[in-house]
Amino acid sequence: MNALIDELKRLIIDSLDLEDVKPEDIDPKAPLFGAGLGLDSIDALELGVAIQKKYHVKLDANSADTKQHFQSVENLAKFITSQQPA
Amino acid sequence: MHGGEEQPLLLGARGAVSRAAFHVRVASLRAQLDRHPARRWALVCEDAVWFGAGLLALAGGGRSVVLPQAPQAGALRDTGVDAVLTDKPDAFPGMQTLTAVESAAAGRDSVSQDDATAVDFFTSGSSGVPKRVPKAYAQLRLEVEALDRQWGALLGDAVVLGTVPHHHLYGLLFRVLWPLTLGRPIHAPMCLQPAELKAAAGGKRCVIVSSPAFLSRLHAYEELPTAGQTTAVFSSGAPLADQAARDLREKWGRSAVEVYGSTETGGIAWRAWDGAADRAWWRPIAGVDAEIREDESGPRLWARSGCTYGQDWMPSGDLARFGGDGRFALQGRADDVLKFEDKRVSLSEMRTHLLGHPWVAEARLLLLPGRRQQLAAVVVLKPEGRRVLESQGKLALQEQLKAALKQRYEALLVPRKWRFPEALPDNAMGKTEQARLLALFEVQP
Repeated sequence: MNALIDELKRLIIDSLDLEDVKPEDIDPKAPLFGAGLGLDSIDALELGVAIQKKYHVKLDANSADTKQHFQSVENLAKFITSQQPA
Repeated sequence: MHGGEEQPLLLGARGAVSRAAFHVRVASLRAQLDRHPARRWALVCEDAVWFGAGLLALAGGGRSVVLPQAPQAGALRDTGVDAVLTDKPDAFPGMQTLTAVESAAAGRDSVSQDDATAVDFFTSGSSGVPKRVPKAYAQLRLEVEALDRQWGALLGDAVVLGTVPHHHLYGLLFRVLWPLTLGRPIHAPMCLQPAELKAAAGGKRCVIVSSPAFLSRLHAYEELPTAGQTTAVFSSGAPLADQAARDLREKWGRSAVEVYGSTETGGIAWRAWDGAADRAWWRPIAGVDAEIREDESGPRLWARSGCTYGQDWMPSGDLARFGGDGRFALQGRADDVLKFEDKRVSLSEMRTHLLGHPWVAEARLLLLPGRRQQLAAVVVLKPEGRRVLESQGKLALQEQLKAALKQRYEALLVPRKWRFPEALPDNAMGKTEQARLLALFEVQP
């Protein structure tokens, strides 16, 4: 899980071109959108694409669930892990 | 309004609201507004159903309405409002608010067509401060009628879904007022991802009100509602790139109906690519006149219709040229009011705002080109600002300046990249200022 969290932090930084942000600056439990990292709705689209391309996971059609998954890096990692074949 | 009284009219975040229940909301709000001393009201509702109810309730009663540029307290400054009608009263500390929420207040159950009620839109202007665009409810009503004449057949009984917010004119008309007036079902929550649109359509016929920011980022088209169940995809805010238009048609199965217009002019023209013709041409919407007038920016497009205030000619923010039979092609923006991810932003206005910050001595805002456009800021700091930079670091300084801008601008419009040079780059090699600023970001002009 830790390796995945680190990988996701780098994916976020790279795919969203976040200058000045280092992986250690991202708290895995902190909000990604609004507060915390302060990502916006375009970031949500871009990150969604990057995650789907890298991990081949489908984002849930239920928007409440999608919002949950995007709540923090930790939530994202849990979601991706749950979608991988055992 | 048409349609059965108990039929679900709006699909809010917490379930369906029937037409009858919606009428009760409007009447209840109007009763509370009629008893309230405030006359000039801002309408800021996150929920599209309450926004629609508020828009109808505010008409009449000697009131005037303000629709701010962004749904936040900072955007209300200098708009002269007495109070805010909102579903998020905590977002407006220190201001008089009326909460848009279910209440027992009973009122006249009539939808008054008080056409004369003033509705002031605020949008980005090139003068450095927000620009007031006065309209009356009459203009909104005429705009809805024009949309229905042009595309009413496409609405049918389809549920209206949207990926754009309802607080700018495009979303307000297409997602709320047009379907509301015609009694068509509305899915109130804004959809952020393609799969949300599919879930919202629930297998039924739908109309999608969208924009290039969303449509140009699609890649998994099977996640959208099918082209067969979608009677129309509208796109507005900026021209849709050729590749995105092609992909939508060929990989999904239907072309977007693009609408060109502005807050000042309302809807002006449209285009829907048939796969063969030249995509450059826009066709004026029925009832709209368009002409070109040369000014210091070049050949600027002007438009006039029943929807422009006073039925006067209004300038657009674009340069254009005419082809045959009334069609025109756009030739770029006329001034520094840009479209960034389909949203209007005035770089000089944002600069004015930054200059008001105690740490900022000078500022320049620019658009960085690239796969994904980004807004950037170059700031020369005052001594207090320099101290913050030295003691807290660049990231912390940036976050505080961004927080100040977020009081006034949506998060999307706040610059992503920042530079803090000791002075603005000088003219050492005779490059233009734009090129010198871009060089700070390692971007080739």
